[in-house]
Amino acid sequence: MVSASQDGKLLIWDTFTGNKLVAVPLKSAWVMSVAFAPSGNLVASGGLDNMCTVYNIKAASPKTLRELDAHTGYLSCCRFLSDSEILTASGDTTCCLWDLETGKQKIIFTNHIGDCMSLALSGDMNTFISGACDSLAKLWDLREGTCKQTFSGHTSDINAISFFPSGNAVITGSDDCSCKMYDLRSDQEVIGYQDTSLNAGVTSLALSNSGRLIFAGYDDFNCHIWDSLKGEKVGVLSGHDNRVSCTGVPEDGMGVCTGSWDSFLKLWN
Amino acid sequence: MMSGRTCSSGHVVQAQKLVDQLRVEAGMERIKISLTAADLVRFCQDHRRSDPLLTGISASSNPFKDKKTCRLL
Repeated sequence: MVSASQDGKLLIWDTFTGNKLVAVPLKSAWVMSVAFAPSGNLVASGGLDNMCTVYNIKAASPKTLRELDAHTGYLSCCRFLSDSEILTASGDTTCCLWDLETGKQKIIFTNHIGDCMSLALSGDMNTFISGACDSLAKLWDLREGTCKQTFSGHTSDINAISFFPSGNAVITGSDDCSCKMYDLRSDQEVIGYQDTSLNAGVTSLALSNSGRLIFAGYDDFNCHIWDSLKGEKVGVLSGHDNRVSCTGVPEDGMGVCTGSWDSFLKLWN
Repeated sequence: MMSGRTCSSGHVVQAQKLVDQLRVEAGMERIKISLTAADLVRFCQDHRRSDPLLTGISASSNPFKDKKTCRLL
């Protein structure tokens, strides 16, 4: 697992033992996003420095491979397609596909009118989805560079976005304190996940392997668990002493990890 | 400071782009929600057994369990 903190460190963990395997000092401590390449060879991070820095962690000591510098706003999210391509989302309202071999931008995705906060890649890597401060979620064709669909309904910034594992739906989390599921093929909102007792913004989310459970991190220091089909809250992960800022489920679906402003990462199952 | 004419043509270009994008999105072929929603439910049911967080993880097969090991020095 890779994590980055505003203490200026990027850490790679063995999640079974809790041991730190690699530590990478970050040039800029104001990190907002971190990503692992599918190969496990590279990691990337970025934030208020407006750059996405890619590191080779398989080298004897972690080496900076590329500094991707072209966004005019903060880097809010980055995701690797492979060791040669990475996708970034920025506060400058654009998303960008980069060629890691040249360090240059391949495609710039423009259509959002607010800071892009989060993105997720489809399983087949032909499309990706983005959530932004304009309260919209958008589906993009990765190769054509065009916006295919726009989903509205949220009334504030979308901070988190994820594909439903079938690839046919999208889950979003917003500062309006709700999560929503949008179906891609019928092009509409299917369910809203909200509760009158929940008055905190959603910062992050992750789905269990079947898509039935949504783990959503909130500003209220908790990660609330929703039944994605029934739209009901089915549990809560309490234990953090500050806002939950990131949530993730590993590929084997054996647990869920939450990261918080309390500086801790907690693994639950 | 832009002249009045260049200012308005800039707005027109922008508005035209917006309309074009809306046209592209509106032209999408949509599948009925009754069908797609059924697919979502079916997917969850089909993958239920491969979702450890849903079905539960026994202590013996939990890879994250604290291992109390005896270390021989």
